[in-house]
Amino acid sequence: MAITADQILDIIAEEVPIERAELKPDATLEALNIASLDMISVMFALEDKFGVIIEQNDVAETKTLADFIAVVQAKSDAQAAAG
Amino acid sequence: MTHRRVVITGMGAVSALGQGLDATWSALDEGRGGITRIERRVGDSEIHTFAGPAAVCVPLNAKALEQRSGPRPLAHLDPFAAFAVIAGHEAMERAGLLDHPVLEQRTAMIWGCGSGGNQTIEDSYARSFLKGATNVHPLSIPKQMISAPVSHLSMMFGVQGPAFTIASACASSGHAIGEGLWMIRSGRTQVAVVGGSEAALTYGSWKGWIALQAMSDDTCRPFSIQRRGMVLGEGAAALVLEDYEHARARGAHIFAELAGYGATSDAHHITAPHGRGAEAAIRAAHADAGLALDAPILISSHGTGTPLNDKIESAALRNVYGDSLAQNRVIATKSSHGHLIGGGGALELVTAIQAMNAGVVPAVLNGLGPDPDAEAPLAWEREERRFDAVISNSFAFGGLNSALIARRI
Repeated sequence: MAITADQILDIIAEEVPIERAELKPDATLEALNIASLDMISVMFALEDKFGVIIEQNDVAETKTLADFIAVVQAKSDAQAAAG
Repeated sequence: MTHRRVVITGMGAVSALGQGLDATWSALDEGRGGITRIERRVGDSEIHTFAGPAAVCVPLNAKALEQRSGPRPLAHLDPFAAFAVIAGHEAMERAGLLDHPVLEQRTAMIWGCGSGGNQTIEDSYARSFLKGATNVHPLSIPKQMISAPVSHLSMMFGVQGPAFTIASACASSGHAIGEGLWMIRSGRTQVAVVGGSEAALTYGSWKGWIALQAMSDDTCRPFSIQRRGMVLGEGAAALVLEDYEHARARGAHIFAELAGYGATSDAHHITAPHGRGAEAAIRAAHADAGLALDAPILISSHGTGTPLNDKIESAALRNVYGDSLAQNRVIATKSSHGHLIGGGGALELVTAIQAMNAGVVPAVLNGLGPDPDAEAPLAWEREERRFDAVISNSFAFGGLNSALIARRI
């Protein structure tokens, strides 16, 4: 089952001290002041909840929340297809 | 040698009695205990369960902190650090020192903890051994490290002077307060934010205390006949210590003077107390404060409710104070808020100062009658009585002792 952008944003809102309403897809991680350790917590939560495994290298180039969401969805689809 | 005088200009507390000084004191004043019976399990395990009396901390209200630190300031904190920042914020706010320039260089922060982030450690083990996971949460180390509370406190309030944790079991925060006193006396800093916290109502901790046969199966009855042991509590208390001249110059409210500190080690046994260390700590605190042993004083005992502690502690009090003990009153607030381990010394000094300032001796709860083997002038009933000084004693496992004296200014 594909993970929706809203589901990913919900997880970010749980793990990062930023209000959910401020998490717009076009916002950059830098502008939101999201620390790399916070994103590691987000990846851990995504793995826990959806079983999708994301490595730090996978998201090294992400700038915006939309970039991050795209990586997560692509990894999720690829891992589902690989069974 | 004369030292700088040190006063207490801020206090904060959170425990089973409530969040904040007012809630804490009204519970003690009215004799409302915070001990209830809990039943818990690890995850959905059928066998990893525990039940019994405990003093569970009230749900935390972080609204004031949110205004300062942004949304969900407690989100990635183990409870022992969350309790710390709640109590620390109250103490700093009451002191009127939030955002004060003295915090940048001339303030120390010394925090007492007994055992670190028990809940985080347990979550990691439960995930590994019950769920079969091979990884743990990426923040497990920064959440569980015993220095986490002092780091969060210094970050949250911008304290940039010396900051560290003291771990000496049940005397941790007593020692943290005493060493904070010396930070100021020695001129290293003008302010010291001190206190302690603990959150040990977890399976592993609980089972450990049970295995030691230290835990009561009904409630906490310090110095009483039929006392059956200690009851674990959780929470935190914080105090702002300040150079008297600094406090006076800025017109700060002063709760009390922190006048004396004694610290000793029994050098005897890893669990059993030896009265010599307790006696020496009390005598040292009186000598440090320049307070005669026959001056009336309100005694906030360690009073765990274990058969051995209360027997040894009462004998130490009789030996130190002799005939003048009768004019004093002994309180034992663990009967109300449970045993906060690393946070106990701080909460008990805070409540003793509240009692002194209110002119009220709060009742020792749950007593079934005086024990001839643990005789002391206990406050079995609430009493209106003025004392000008209090001593708060912490006698930890492993024989580590602290005694702190505060007095009216």
